[in-house]
Amino acid sequence: MAPASGARALIARALRRLGPPLLALATLGVDGRAPRIGETLESAPTREVSGTTCVGANDLARLLRATKFWHPEVRKLILRAGPHRIQLTAEDPFVVVDDGTVALPAPVMPVGGELQVPVALADLLPRDSTLARLVFDPRRRVLVVAPPSGVLGSARVVVQEGRTRLVFEADRPEEVVVVSRARDHFRVRFGGFFSGSLPDALPAAALVQRIRPIGAAAGSAFEMAVSRQATGFRVVRDTRARRVVLEFTREPSSEFTAFAPEGPPGPRDLRVVVLDPGHGGRDAGVTAGGLVEKDLTLALARQLESEIGRRLRVRVVLTRTEDRDVPVEARAEIANRARADLVVSLHFDGFPNAAAGGATAYVPPATYSSAGFTGGAGSLTVLAWREAATRHAVESRALGEAILSSLELRGDGPILLRELLPYPLLGVDAPGLLLECATLTTRADRERVGGRAGMAELAETIADGIQAYQRNE
Amino acid sequence: MRRVWIGLLVVAVLASVWYGVTRRSPAPPAPGGARGDSAGTGLKAVRLFFASPDGDSLVSETREILEQSNLHERVAALVAELDRGPRGGGVAALPAGTSVLHAYLDEGGGLTLDLSRAFEQGFRGGAMTEYAAVASLVRTLGANLPEVKRVLLVCGGAPLATLGGHVPLDQPFDVSEWL
Repeated sequence: MAPASGARALIARALRRLGPPLLALATLGVDGRAPRIGETLESAPTREVSGTTCVGANDLARLLRATKFWHPEVRKLILRAGPHRIQLTAEDPFVVVDDGTVALPAPVMPVGGELQVPVALADLLPRDSTLARLVFDPRRRVLVVAPPSGVLGSARVVVQEGRTRLVFEADRPEEVVVVSRARDHFRVRFGGFFSGSLPDALPAAALVQRIRPIGAAAGSAFEMAVSRQATGFRVVRDTRARRVVLEFTREPSSEFTAFAPEGPPGPRDLRVVVLDPGHGGRDAGVTAGGLVEKDLTLALARQLESEIGRRLRVRVVLTRTEDRDVPVEARAEIANRARADLVVSLHFDGFPNAAAGGATAYVPPATYSSAGFTGGAGSLTVLAWREAATRHAVESRALGEAILSSLELRGDGPILLRELLPYPLLGVDAPGLLLECATLTTRADRERVGGRAGMAELAETIADGIQAYQRNE
Repeated sequence: MRRVWIGLLVVAVLASVWYGVTRRSPAPPAPGGARGDSAGTGLKAVRLFFASPDGDSLVSETREILEQSNLHERVAALVAELDRGPRGGGVAALPAGTSVLHAYLDEGGGLTLDLSRAFEQGFRGGAMTEYAAVASLVRTLGANLPEVKRVLLVCGGAPLATLGGHVPLDQPFDVSEWL
């Protein structure tokens, strides 16, 4: 216990801190209707005890990743988390945190054999990397663990004098990166977990016509459709106010960055399509119900080769035409030497549970976090060769969406798009994806693709998707 | 003179007795019971991640395990719990029998996790299984060991390019990208 005078000072400081943080937290409310990025944060329910919002001590220990020590003789519970020690005493509002004492607005109360701790304690705990940061979400009435990357709050839209500003509250404003400057797919990645909401509708006069969350390799990312009337953009990172402002302007200005040059609308110029039948040789891939993945991928590639050749005036190149093992580097070399305009690595999935099924596409992440891949006008970017495919991330995603959409329409779903640089695309310098066409460990999928007719239909469906991508529909 | 010598002798005997007694006396207890809570073994809640039944995502499960004293034991305990499989509605994502051979944490928070051969040899499945195995490991380690910032998976003391040909393992995974 700290000396009495020191304790009083700490208590006074703690009481001063009780007001503002709780008010600030109210802005972190999660809008259940809005899309959320990433997985739900680790959380614990709260309950009202004599008019005070409390969390159970067991849940508190879990969230803090603390070890519990209960001393029944003195009715004290000690939580140890890394170098920190938190001592709670039943029916006492004073909590010993490391060498100091803090006062809670209400005592810690035993209810049903468990101590209930006022959630105000979350604001009084030390803020360092060794202790989980807890945030009370008053909307959902839960105590959540803020991720190490921080929290990104709701977006606010301001339209004024030919400019549109999107204002985000961000723990780490310095981490915001514009990853795509194209007007149609203007993409921005923030550090931190998005716990806010996006506006349901944007003002008609706004230069941003649409905003949606997209998957990100790190942090939270959004894609915006920017009006053709916009001539430039800029990002203001206000680290003091913990705020990021994305600003778009109608009037040309040297203070703003131009958008990326836009290709002509209409069909994409496809000349070479590379099909990569997954696995081969000693690597059989998934085997289930008498089906062998390496054989299916080769059969599908051949079917798809003729289907694409029949529809599009393109050269189709296969990375293997027989049952042999081709190293990943050799597959990439074949694609790059052929100057591929797109690469589709064909696979079939397998999972230990029969509830899994459908198709999944893995595309290079559009928000790749590699050092030096910063984008922006005039910046020099350095990219490791293994990650060359990430240069084509936006096109790859468009290809993935086109093929998955086609599969879904044919009833080959459920479909899933994952942004992860897949192994077969290491070193490939072209838009591409790894496509798990069906899940062989699921009977329905096996029956669908197992026969000759099923394989032909699958090839047609994938060709539909590639054709839709080529048409730029 | 003789009395003086006897007096000195008595003083010397008393001094040696006093010295012996004070040497053997236990140290006074630390104030505030600071050591009391560190004497025993505590229980610690850990959050484990398994694959969801449809393979699309991960589901978490909380268990209480005995606190381990060093990093290797903590990592090994987490992987052992993952290997035991889920008790709730999840699906085991790690190849059966996977265990930790070595765990090394560098100053920058990079954890090199050397897994047993069972990790590679026991793998069956496609990209969904492979993704789930990696995600389960990285998320579980990240959720329970805040000092771990990146995870590099190796197997049997040697680098592993990939588990099943879908997810590259040649580079460490940034834990924050999987949260």
